[in-house]
Amino acid sequence: MKTKLLIIIAAAIFILGIGGSLLVLLLPKKQAVQIKHGAEVLYTFDLTQEPDRTFEIKTDDGTNIIEIKDGKIRVSEADCPDKTCVRMGWLNSAAMPVVCLPHHLVIEFADGGEDGVDAVAE
Amino acid sequence: MDVKRLARLGVLTAVALIIFIVELQIPNPFPIPGIKLGLANIITVYAVYRFRPVEVCMLVGVRIFLGAVFSGNMMALLYSACGSLLCLLGMLLLKRVIDEKHLWLASVFGALLHNTGQMAAALLVMQTPSLLLYYPFLVVSGCLAGLFTGLCAQLILPRLKKAGF
Repeated sequence: MKTKLLIIIAAAIFILGIGGSLLVLLLPKKQAVQIKHGAEVLYTFDLTQEPDRTFEIKTDDGTNIIEIKDGKIRVSEADCPDKTCVRMGWLNSAAMPVVCLPHHLVIEFADGGEDGVDAVAE
Repeated sequence: MDVKRLARLGVLTAVALIIFIVELQIPNPFPIPGIKLGLANIITVYAVYRFRPVEVCMLVGVRIFLGAVFSGNMMALLYSACGSLLCLLGMLLLKRVIDEKHLWLASVFGALLHNTGQMAAALLVMQTPSLLLYYPFLVVSGCLAGLFTGLCAQLILPRLKKAGF
């Protein structure tokens, strides 16, 4: 009896998970992008206005090479052990910040920035 | 704890480590932090149903630490330790409610708790609430991976019993 209840709970969690994933995938894309190291914001960009370039982010945790091209951003190289950040590719959805867990680095879409969406709305 | 039991735990830890290292070599088709099959947890699930709680904790603790040393990813230790802690607590409790025939169910909940612990650790370390957006994906992958490892453990359980392990 208890087992059946638990099976139903597990199935419900699974379905909620699928629903949540779809919802997150449908989130609207934003223009402003932030690069953060832990809680500290290192850079804020408006990707539509950024020239194509590559640059290095060096922190106590390690080094990541960031590439901006055609209004897209990605980690092109990193010296972290798992390279998940590199394999995640271009940042293309608000749902999927590019994350380098070993280096505590996050690239994500954000609200505004100095001259971002918020400033225009005001 | 008698010597035989200790030796069994040692063998299980070694097997879990081998599985862990082999899995590292398989490229992950979903490059999202936190998503992986976690085949080494077949051993964890098995041990939860066959050994005392303290023994399971020792097994998993040693496996996680040595796994981090062998893979050269010490940062991952924090995440996997938080995940495993929550997962073990949950599974040791669930074991009282869920019988061996439904071991796979305990494994699914274990995987979900593992992902939850990892997510909590990542949120604390990175201080980035938007990481929570990953959580639904972790839930889906956790259910599937937990189901798979749980079914594997369920197949292994009667066979090892027959072999007198």
